[in-house]
Amino acid sequence: MDKARRTTVATVSAAALLAGVAGCSSGPDAADSGEVVVTCATCQESPTDPFLQYNYEAAQRFNEEFAGDFRIETIENPNAGSGDDRLQYYQRLALADDLPDLFQLNSGEIKAMQETGKLHDFASSLEADGDWAASFQDQAFDALTGPEGQIWAIPQQRDAIGIYYNSALLEAAGYDRFPATWDELEDLAAELKQQDKIAIALDGDWATKLMWANLIGTQPGGDEFLGEKIVELEDWGEDPAVVQATERLRDWHVEGYVNADAFSGDFQNAAAPYLTEEAAMVPNGPWFVKTNLTTEAAPGLYEKTGYAPAPGWSDGGQGTVVVSGAGWVSGTTDERKLEAVETFVKFMTSEDEVLAQAQATGANPPVQVDAAATEAADLEPLATGLIEQTADLTYSYPHARVHGPAGLDTSWKNLWPAYVKGDMDTDEFLQRLTDDSASSAQ
Amino acid sequence: MSVLTRHRPPHSASGNERAASAERAPVGGQVERRSLKRSARPVSGTRIPRGMRGPIVVSLLPGLLLFGTFFLVPFFVLTGTAFARWSGLDFAWVGLDNYRQMFQDPVFFKAIVNTLFYAAASVFIQVPLGVGVGMVLALRPRGWKALRTIVFVPFVISGAAYAVIFSMFYNPRAGLLNNALGALGLPGDRDWLFDTATARWAVAGTFVFIIGFVVVLVMAEIASIPNELYEAASVDGATTWQQLTRITLPLLRNVIGTAILIRLLVDIGMFDLVFILTAGGPDDATATLALYAYRAYLSGEWGYANAVGSVIIVIGLVLIITVRRAFRIGERAL
Repeated sequence: MDKARRTTVATVSAAALLAGVAGCSSGPDAADSGEVVVTCATCQESPTDPFLQYNYEAAQRFNEEFAGDFRIETIENPNAGSGDDRLQYYQRLALADDLPDLFQLNSGEIKAMQETGKLHDFASSLEADGDWAASFQDQAFDALTGPEGQIWAIPQQRDAIGIYYNSALLEAAGYDRFPATWDELEDLAAELKQQDKIAIALDGDWATKLMWANLIGTQPGGDEFLGEKIVELEDWGEDPAVVQATERLRDWHVEGYVNADAFSGDFQNAAAPYLTEEAAMVPNGPWFVKTNLTTEAAPGLYEKTGYAPAPGWSDGGQGTVVVSGAGWVSGTTDERKLEAVETFVKFMTSEDEVLAQAQATGANPPVQVDAAATEAADLEPLATGLIEQTADLTYSYPHARVHGPAGLDTSWKNLWPAYVKGDMDTDEFLQRLTDDSASSAQ
Repeated sequence: MSVLTRHRPPHSASGNERAASAERAPVGGQVERRSLKRSARPVSGTRIPRGMRGPIVVSLLPGLLLFGTFFLVPFFVLTGTAFARWSGLDFAWVGLDNYRQMFQDPVFFKAIVNTLFYAAASVFIQVPLGVGVGMVLALRPRGWKALRTIVFVPFVISGAAYAVIFSMFYNPRAGLLNNALGALGLPGDRDWLFDTATARWAVAGTFVFIIGFVVVLVMAEIASIPNELYEAASVDGATTWQQLTRITLPLLRNVIGTAILIRLLVDIGMFDLVFILTAGGPDDATATLALYAYRAYLSGEWGYANAVGSVIIVIGLVLIITVRRAFRIGERAL
């Protein structure tokens, strides 16, 4: 092979390789027909996540109804469900100016993402359509707003989060109803322990912090801590409600009322003992019925299960966590796409869709729905029962994660096991939890 | 050892065969000797034939492009931004602030200690165990092939899957370990992974027994040791134990050093196992440097995370140099 030929062969090979690499990039995604195409990063099919599956089916209905005008194009997104990496994933896309037109974030993630300046503000859309704005439940936008009145997300749900209990195990322990006070709950827990049952199933993360929020929120001023002071205080140990709640929750572990594997941060460690009837109670949202109770539970457990608000520190002091969950956000600035986005979120908050969502996921509508339509929709009674009770409760408060620093989850998982096992006292735990949560959230 | 080194055989022939071959060339001996000399020249001294430089450079371009894109660029970004406050949204040079902050953070030192603990577990437990098992299997006892497969299988299981399996194994409520201890009449209620007294040991326990890689390396090296050495030792009356300790083990120096080096490099970057098992808790008792950097990254402190990354690189370089020198890796043992 002569020099020129060898050079040509090598050059062509290199060019072919580069062309192959370059060919991996995707082409333009514009539609030719004048139909506006918007990308959705949380509309993919999912056999395991009922919310994603519902989003997918709703997007198909939207595409059918608005064919020719608007179309949702699904992006297969490994970070669509909630997880530690989701925020980073969208922050990277924001930096690259490549956010999807539609996706979902929870309130904590929205707080972090608003700093990118890449989220669309829905305030003007709501202002322009008074009827639509008025259709939302009170405080539906509470955790989804910015410091200057921006509305970064349209809520997908508004749920009360209570405590699931096995009425048969409670009856066997001598209780024909769920305890109304924490003292009563501890008496029940002691009785269940005598019977070799786990009283409360926790996980060291989500479920444990739900009980922490319940113990804080059912004290006077507790909702204030969970709403504002959790961000403002330099040491959560300064708030006596937090100290009392923290020590009481720790004592349940020490007394053996909680499952021994309650520190992994994996909710399955809490779900499993409840679903196998080893545990009498587990705190979680209404989606637990669809994701676990009707699919993985021991036979007949659904019929034995009740759903109650948190007990109070005194008689009549019950309360419950109320959350908006993830909301729809948009990363587009294109006017035509924004029109499509607005049409989509209005579609998703229509009466038909919120009821379809409630049936599919167990989540409650973020908008007010006609009572007759709700009854006709035959919604999950456990979920609707608690949301109906909420209006009569003394306390309602957000989950600690809603307004708490974004680093709360990581810090909690790290420090909580050491605190419960006696490696640090309450003062040190709360001070370090405050510091670490904040430093991890910068 | 120096005698053995001087009589190093070529890859394809023993020393005796090579010497015999040279003696068999009464006329063409000069040619053969020249040929042997040429083949012994280092590759770096080989001249590129005229006319081949252009095609070689062009052929190397795609590889260099990929190397530059996926190694050099990230490397320089990492080392450069280690001196900056960088959250993705804002950027400012801060000099040595990241390093000052790092060396004032007790969690950083916990992460260093934990990382070195895992590395020590590999060096002092995993590698010796692997060498021992490899040496025994090299004797080809009954069922050695099956044993070799059994020992190797855990190595091909992904770290994430392994972590999930061990999180169930250590589960304090329903895990196999506590149930087994309970069956033996021992206390079976310990939370191995989330007790600061046991967490680090429990994490190390998940990987120190994955010895398949070391076993296979050792067996391959033993297979390359000339039989003549054992035959000569046998004639001189050496026992099997003496052959193992006086011949096999010294000749494994290179491969043991290599196994230690590979394990150390894996351990200083250990992440997935710890992340899935404990997420670094409780109270940072299991946190590694890589996990510490990841937490900083998750917090949007990208510059700080990269400063931690640069420390990992420096530790890695120190370990590489130390182990290479200690074990004289690259120098032929025979």
